[in-house]
Amino acid sequence: MKSSATDCLLDLYDEQHELEDYQSGVPRWCTGCGDNAILTAVQRLCRDEALRPEKTVFVSGIGCSSRFPHYMKTYGFHGIHGRAFPVAEGVKMARPDLTVFVNTGDGDCCSIGAAHWIHAIRYNMNLTVFLHDNRIYGLTKKQASPTSPIGTKSNTTPRGSYLDALNPLSVTLGVANASFVAQAVDWIPESLFEIVKAAYHHKGMSFVRVLQRCPEWLPNSFEPWMQDPDRIQLLHHENSLQLSAGLSKVYKNQLQHDPLDMNRAREIASSEDVIPVGILYQNRDIPRYEETRQTGVLRTTETIRKGFDAELDKYTV
Amino acid sequence: MDADLQAHIAFYLTGKRHSPNLLAIDGLKLQPALFAGYRDLTRLRYDFPLVLVKEGPAAVEPLSGLIDAILDKVARGDDGERIRKHVLRLEQEIRTRVAKGTSGTFSTLWDAAAPALAKDNKLMAESLSRARANLKVDGDVIDCDASLPYHLLGHAWAITQTQRAKKFAKDINRLVQKLSDIIKADFVNSDAGKSAENLRASFGNGPMDSFDFAAMSRILVKASAKKKPAKSRQKRVQNLLAVLQSQRFFPTSSATAEAPYSFAFDSCNDALKAYRERLPKAIELARAIAMAELEVRGEYSEVKHDALFESFGQNGLDEAELALLPDYLVRINATSLSGAEQSKLNEILAIDLPIKVVVQTDDVIEESPVGHLAFALRSRQLASMAMGINDVFVLQSPAASLYQLREQIQRGLDYTGPALFSVFSGATKTSGGLPPYLIGAAALESRVFPAFTFDPSAGRDWASRFCLATNPQAEEDWPLREFAYEDEKNQAVAQQLPFTLIDFVACDTRYSKHFSLIPRTHWNDTLVPVETALAQPGRGSLDSVPCLTMVDGEDRLQKVIVDEKLIREARRCRSMWNSLQELGGIHNSHAEKLLASERLRWEEKLAAASASAAKPAAEPVASVAAPVAAAEAAPVEPEAERSPDEAYIETARCSTCNECVQFNNKMFAYDGNQQAYIADVNAGTYAQLVEAAENCQVSIIHPGKPRNPNEPGLEELIKRAELFA
Repeated sequence: MKSSATDCLLDLYDEQHELEDYQSGVPRWCTGCGDNAILTAVQRLCRDEALRPEKTVFVSGIGCSSRFPHYMKTYGFHGIHGRAFPVAEGVKMARPDLTVFVNTGDGDCCSIGAAHWIHAIRYNMNLTVFLHDNRIYGLTKKQASPTSPIGTKSNTTPRGSYLDALNPLSVTLGVANASFVAQAVDWIPESLFEIVKAAYHHKGMSFVRVLQRCPEWLPNSFEPWMQDPDRIQLLHHENSLQLSAGLSKVYKNQLQHDPLDMNRAREIASSEDVIPVGILYQNRDIPRYEETRQTGVLRTTETIRKGFDAELDKYTV
Repeated sequence: MDADLQAHIAFYLTGKRHSPNLLAIDGLKLQPALFAGYRDLTRLRYDFPLVLVKEGPAAVEPLSGLIDAILDKVARGDDGERIRKHVLRLEQEIRTRVAKGTSGTFSTLWDAAAPALAKDNKLMAESLSRARANLKVDGDVIDCDASLPYHLLGHAWAITQTQRAKKFAKDINRLVQKLSDIIKADFVNSDAGKSAENLRASFGNGPMDSFDFAAMSRILVKASAKKKPAKSRQKRVQNLLAVLQSQRFFPTSSATAEAPYSFAFDSCNDALKAYRERLPKAIELARAIAMAELEVRGEYSEVKHDALFESFGQNGLDEAELALLPDYLVRINATSLSGAEQSKLNEILAIDLPIKVVVQTDDVIEESPVGHLAFALRSRQLASMAMGINDVFVLQSPAASLYQLREQIQRGLDYTGPALFSVFSGATKTSGGLPPYLIGAAALESRVFPAFTFDPSAGRDWASRFCLATNPQAEEDWPLREFAYEDEKNQAVAQQLPFTLIDFVACDTRYSKHFSLIPRTHWNDTLVPVETALAQPGRGSLDSVPCLTMVDGEDRLQKVIVDEKLIREARRCRSMWNSLQELGGIHNSHAEKLLASERLRWEEKLAAASASAAKPAAEPVASVAAPVAAAEAAPVEPEAERSPDEAYIETARCSTCNECVQFNNKMFAYDGNQQAYIADVNAGTYAQLVEAAENCQVSIIHPGKPRNPNEPGLEELIKRAELFA
């Protein structure tokens, strides 16, 4: 719809925010932790998109990454282990006008919260989800997580882990109604920011797995990929992200990939030698649950009271 | 010269009959030959009559379409064919009744016609009863007559406004609810809201005595926020509520509200006057909506927004704001379009008001007041003038084609600016009793009243905006139709006949003096079809006379010669049609000229290439693969020149890991994007710089060369720094 002149004038008067307006406290994350890079990218997004702090919510579960809401000067909900998704869905359902982000770790999302994760994908509510995947439980000082590579030595797997790692991208792409799946790495900030931005603009559940370093417990986990830019495969397409000259110069391993091609996305997600970075899948036509269930009925005090009374009357003796 | 030919040519040139073998056609009930198959429209299944649907996905449906939908449901199984036959018989009965002037809804017409048909026929009664149970879409049935443009466009407009009203009501109810919540919340947070009485009243039923509301009130008042809600805000919210609840642009559910405005008018003057009178109220409402939206989002700031809204609407309302409110509808007849009224119409169209104007024409071949033939000028000039304004949606069509143009009509009604619908009803009084549908369709076929749309919202160029697609065989001057008959020897003959302006005029009793019937005994080769005469540039050699093929009341073929005045008018009509064709991209002269010059250039190039091909090949053709590959690579920005001695950080690659800034926050700092750079290279030692480079998670710190030659251990540091050069 065309914007009216009034809308344009009001835009002129819109508040401009600085990065500091979204910063809250000094992160307690270890020096060198990849969470810092995600925090910076998200704060930049909030500033550039002029998100109103009082209309923005970060919901998290438990873990290093789930301290994220504490460092954003917005609304936040530091929830219980594995339950970031249900809380975020509740917020979005009740207040569809809010911008809702979810920050969850590989343990929080892929282990204890796996059931909620699967169904959140299927519901496809308009949430922007960051899976901070450092392949280890960091907050509790090094236990193997579902995404730890086979052979990872940790406090719970002193002889090395026995199982192949779970691939969050493949899992997400296998669930009905997946509408946005992307992967980023914390050590390429430009690409991380572009992916975060695309995820924010996607209408539906955008799932971004961010591979991040844990310098404290798995310091060399991503070393082979960091040292060899050719083992990073940048995805680009005219309907997706385009590569800047600077990125193209450093990362020469590039792949043109149509984000609507699900089969190819699944192949790319299974890559092991190279880390694909970019949007693997995006389908803008998948309905959002909160819109599907939107009745259009105005929630007045009377209607709420009536509904409430009707429910309570069921238990009248 | 043959005496017959002399008399024919004399008639052709003067319009006077100087021979007893030239007969006047008055009273002979002649019709253009192509009309022979359309004597009784009620026996044909076609678009009319239409049903103006009250509620449904489409605003208008043809009766035959609704009947087909019913048959799809009931005409199945063994008795399917029987039901189909009976229901189609009923459809014909309804069509006949409507053609005779009976009015009513689809269901009432069905209920009136069915008993008469099924009186002594039980099977038919059973068929019709089963079909009647599936009649789900209802509405007024309307034939193609003089009232069709008024009713059909009025109906489509009303439905559009109803949909707009629904959306408006939803928005307004939401805003009123939210604004009322603000007032309620302010009250609940006030001392009065926390009084013991109010607390008691809000408690509902129950054991009141066991609860101390006074104590509760004291606690709440003591614990409440000291900051009182601003009185100016309360007043503003109350004013907004008053404006939203008292608006008269759309119907409201409030019993106390004043009657809503009417937006349908019979004169441009009245519509313009109403628009002007209501404009302040419209501005007030649009302003209230914009303010209320801010208020309910908690974004209204007196400092920023008061001044903005004070001057709101000083330049009128823009498209987006007007789109919230109803559009005006004016329905007028071209005969009542006086000079003053036309000037108001011009004003409406020129100043971009949201007014939809329907101009109905009942006669497209009226004589000009000075006695000359000037067919279709009055009705045409309106549409052409409106297109000239460039921002007006224009639709011209005979009423007979309105159903085909239903989507375009809707686009015109949804268009945010003014729209002009110029419609020829076909109900010309002098058309010898032919039905308006046939006259309308004939006006379209003969190019007298072509159908077109001009939609400014469709794009910026004529190709996007202008459409002639509804006209039959739009690429031709005149559409050609197959005409079959039997000759004197009962042999079937088929020929292609064009339908021209002359065929159309031949239906009109006012112009019978321009035609003369030639008795069969005087038919000869000098009688040539009118299209042959029209194809000649001028008068020609006068050794033949244009003649029209017509049929009489008993469907016998007749030949009628035509005078030159009509031939001239027909050429003029064709020329106007050709101009429209050009606008519609058909035989566009600019494009054809360009095409010719490009073709010439291409042929010259081809000739030159074939000449050089005769010589031995000089150079191999370059591979095309290389440029394609090169094109895919992203352009690389030139790198900034840096001295190898200089210390720097690749800031864009910084992952904000805090290593360097925690190591020395004077030497390293974060920029506006929270990415590191060297703030002061002298704020630390070279050793620190090298160590920071070594600790950097993404190896983006380049220490350069030491600045202090006296720093201890330089030799080793330089060696370590080489890894980060």
